[in-house]
Parts: sequence; C-alpha cells; structure tokens
Amino acid sequence: MDFDIIFGNAARAAFGPEAVILALAAIGLNVHFGFTGLLNCGQVGFLLLGAYGTSVSVATFGWSLWAGVLIGLFLSLALAAALGIPTLRLNPLLFAIATIAAAEIIRILIGSTDAIGLTGGPLSVSFDAGAFYDLNPYPDGPQDRYGVGTFEFTGQQLWVITVGWALVALISLAIFLLVRSPWGRVLKSIREDEDAARSLGKNVFSYKMQALLIGGGIGGLGGVIDAIKTSGADPNGFRPQVTFFAFAALLLGGAATYLGPVLGAVLFWFLREWIESFLRQLASESWLPAAAADFLDGAEGIISVAMVGLALVLLMLFRPQGLTGNQTELHLDAR
Amino acid sequence: MPDELTPNPDSPRPVATPPANPAPPSDGTDIEPILTVPPVPGAPKPNPILVVDNLARSFGGLRAVDVDHLEVERGVVTALIGPNGAGKTTLFNLLSGFDRADSGRWSFDGRAVTAPAPDQLARQGMIRTFQLTKSLAKLTVIDNVLLGAPGQAGERLWTAPFRWRWRDQEHENTGRAEELLERFNLAHMRDELAGTLSGGQRKLLEVARALMANPVLIMLDEPMAGVNPALGQSLMRHITLLAHEGMSVVFIEHAMDVVTGISDWVVVLSQGRIIAEGPPWKIIHDDEVIDAYLGRRRAGEAR
Repeated sequence: MDFDIIFGNAARAAFGPEAVILALAAIGLNVHFGFTGLLNCGQVGFLLLGAYGTSVSVATFGWSLWAGVLIGLFLSLALAAALGIPTLRLNPLLFAIATIAAAEIIRILIGSTDAIGLTGGPLSVSFDAGAFYDLNPYPDGPQDRYGVGTFEFTGQQLWVITVGWALVALISLAIFLLVRSPWGRVLKSIREDEDAARSLGKNVFSYKMQALLIGGGIGGLGGVIDAIKTSGADPNGFRPQVTFFAFAALLLGGAATYLGPVLGAVLFWFLREWIESFLRQLASESWLPAAAADFLDGAEGIISVAMVGLALVLLMLFRPQGLTGNQTELHLDAR
Repeated sequence: MPDELTPNPDSPRPVATPPANPAPPSDGTDIEPILTVPPVPGAPKPNPILVVDNLARSFGGLRAVDVDHLEVERGVVTALIGPNGAGKTTLFNLLSGFDRADSGRWSFDGRAVTAPAPDQLARQGMIRTFQLTKSLAKLTVIDNVLLGAPGQAGERLWTAPFRWRWRDQEHENTGRAEELLERFNLAHMRDELAGTLSGGQRKLLEVARALMANPVLIMLDEPMAGVNPALGQSLMRHITLLAHEGMSVVFIEHAMDVVTGISDWVVVLSQGRIIAEGPPWKIIHDDEVIDAYLGRRRAGEAR
C-alpha cells in the first residue's frame, strides 16, 4: 500500500481540469439553486451545449476555436432562455422537471445516429484545440513534468488548469460582487418568498431569468473547458449524473456561499479519487482473499462514487449546511 | 374596551390620535371632505384613490367577492371589516393583482388597472401586506426592510457589481430603514435573521418593509394580529400620521376598538358584498352590520 501514490492521485484529481469543470457547474448551480432557489436538475445540459457548441463549430464547420467558444457559450445561454421563458412562470417543480428533461433530450438527439454528420452522433467528436495550446507559456517537451510524485501535470495540462482556475476565481469574484449588492438581495428574497418580492414591486420573472442565464452561462463555460481539455466531446460524458455530481459538490461545500461550490468540487474529486486509488491498491495486496480482490477488480470507480454518496449522507446528518454554510440559517426552515 | 367603543356621535373624529401625539396642523382640513360623504354602500368620494366597479370572484359555487361599486378616499384611513370568509382578503388579493377577478374593473390613482400584475401595481405605489406574514427568513431584518426601498439602482444587473454606483443610495435607504426599525421596536434585531423573530415581530417587520416602499396606498391585512397592544397602538399611530401626510391606508381588522380608534371610514363586507360603509361611529350602530358581524350583545355594550 503506497499512500504517496494514493494522495498524489487524489490531489491531481482535486486540482485537475475535471475539478475545474465541476466547480464551474456547481458555481452556476449555486446561482440557480443556492441564491435564487431555482431547482435546476439539468445543469449538465448547459455543459453539453458549451462543449458541443465548441467542438462542432471547429470539427464540422471548420471555424476557429475562439468562434467555437463563443458559439458554445451562446448556445448555453439560448438553452437558458428557451427553458426559462415558458417554465419560470409555472410551478417550481415543473421547472425542475423541464430542466432534467431538456438536458436528456438534447443529449439523446446529439448522440443519435441521425446526427452523425453534424455532431458525430454516438461516436465522439474531436477537433484540434491547437489555437488554445499555442498560447501555452509552459515548456511542453515530452520530458517536461510539473509537480511531485503522482501529483504531476504535463505542460499542456498545467496550461488548461491555470486558465481554468483563473476563470473560477474571476467568476467567483464576479458572483460575490453581484450577490452582495441589492440585486443579490432581490434574488435571495425570491428564494425565500417570491410573493413577498412581488408585493414590493420586484419583477420576479425577470430576476429568475437573469439568474438562469448567468448560471447557465457559467455551466456552459465549464463545457467549453471540457471540450478544450479533451479536444472533443462525447455524449456519454453528459449523462444526468453530472448534474447530481454538481449538486453533491455544492452541498458538500455549502449552498448559497461564495466559496462553497469551489471547495465542494475540489473535495468531491479528492474523495472520489482517493477512495478509488485506495481500493485499487487494496485489490493488489497479497493478503486480500481472492474473492474480495475479484469483487474489487474493475469496480473501484463505482464503489468510490458510492462512498462519496455515503460521505454526502453523513454530511447531511452531521453538518447539513455544508462545510462553509451557516448553521443558524439552516435551522430557520423549521418554522 | 367598552368605553373606547362609545364614541360621541357628534364628535367629528372620535379617538383619532392619542393626546401624546399631537395631530399635525393640517388635521381637520384634509379629513373634512370624507365626512360629507353619505354613509351608503358604494357612495362616491370627493377624491378617490381607488375606484372599483362590478368586481367579482368565485371559488366554485362560492361568490367570494361581489362588489358593485367601491371608492376609497385618498389620504384617509379606511377599515375593511366583516365576518370570517366575507371576502376581505380575496378583495385585497384581487386589487393588488395576486388573484385574477372573474369580471370587473378598477382604477388606482387615476389609472385604469387593465392587466393587474402585483409587481407593477406595487411600483405604482400600491403596497400590500399579507395576513400570513411573509418575512424573508434567511435575510437579516435590515435587509428585509431595505428590500422595500423603491427605485434602487443596485437592483439592476448592470450596476449591481459596481458598488460606487449604488453605495450612496444604499446608505440613505439604510438610514431610513433604521428609523423604521427604531419606530417598530426592532432596532435591536437589526442584524439578526428575520426567521428568528417572533410572530408579532414579523408582522411589524412586514409593515416596516411596506412603509419603506413609500406607498401611495398601503393595504394592511390584519396588521395587529399577534402584536402586543402597546406596540400595536404605536404602529397604528404611526400609520395615522402617515395618512395625515397624504398616504392612503386600507386595513383589515377584527378588533373593533382599533377600528373605531383610528379609521376615518369603515367598509363592511359580508358574503362578498359591501353591506355598509360610513364613519366608524355610525357603522357600529348600523343594524345590518350588527346582525352580520358585531352581534347584538356587543352592540348593546357599545351603546
């Protein structure tokens, strides 16, 4: 059992591009759910359109990467508008259902064989993200590695996560500036009681729409980074559980806080990778009975997700406000 | 209580403002016109802020509101009374746009209300409170009140991130909000979350928040329910003062001593219809009101 490797892998996942993407998804969800009270169960749909908007623009239409990035962001904003205009005036639960359904419909359409010519269909689409890596300031020879032990990145990876975490920091700052203002006060009042907000002259639909667009756009940016990181997109990467991973990260870190979604995303990937690495190491221990090793073999990933779920259950029991949340706020629900 | 219910029918304005709080000099001159109005249902008023025509709303077979004509005078305190289920709150909901009328039309502040939207009516100055208090539990008390301030630059997405664009206005609003909290005995709770307040305090908070919006017409749905009497009195005294400054007030209330104490005009609703209206000292002797609402014994006491 080599704990250096286990911790190295976990740290690598916690600061790697996957955590950046999850953090962006969770920040967007925090704007929807944490601050405005919109139960968006289809955040993955925004990521999907961000990723496919970028990939298809470059791969299928041959446009430049930067045009692709803009199209990816535009498509995720368009999804927010298309979802919000008909459903935000309705019962909040209908909104939740509409979001999860929309995300799945888009994924199935994009992944269907009829769409092969446009999106690659069930096959993944791939493109050349060279325009992004051309800007990479880190030496990126075959021997160049940054980090210690298994916590190391290639120059290209380091460039992706540098840009990624810088965006996370910038967006978190922007959200902080927005939410501490009177504008943020209106969002929270809508979360608490939208009729009260209406009775004081606030246009609730307009504020919900603004929140939906902002959070959806941030999710879309996560998708764009996903596309650049993998130089492509695959429909299987955008299953509904991505939304729930984002919820898990948000609740772990603390909803309606500024740093909660970021901390949560880092912790989510750290735990997930730590447990998976641990189990993989465990499976190769000679003292383990053969039956147990057989059971573990290949199931490490599934078990680690289940363990993260368990951690979430324990967190809800013992620290339901999340890591950074405020204890007193939570108890106010018991009115 | 009985002696407060015994107004002298000759006095023009019974128990209006307690002596501790001298009425502004304008008192008497701007209240006078309402006294010339005949006390009959649907009576036209000299300077109405709200004019309602043929307003109806049914729930299934129940006709909850069925008002032929109602005018609410500007700058006075109007009480809306009636038995439980008379349609008082439904009438509030219709007028403020929180419920859709089956038929009827009304105008507010001289403008016909064609497509009633609650937020739009509120921005025009019609601010209502709710019978079941809507305090925003996870906002602080001061934030609850600040939310009421109208025309905030910082509530626009494009200005919100730039603090210097709204700091001065926020500062001004905070000063006003603190004054209101002081007046309603909530100043010590300023930075607590509203969810930690008691029921009566939430009621006061909601009224403070509504007043923060600088209403032209404030509609209070049982503002005194659960508020301790002394504080309730100070609340109502404050509201009468505001009425003297030109704000119009409509409030729903069951306690008759409050109604006779501070209202200039009383509208009685029963089974959705207006069965009587008039100055309080006349209303409490109205036979139909006694039968429908006050009851013989109570009215006997009042006599």
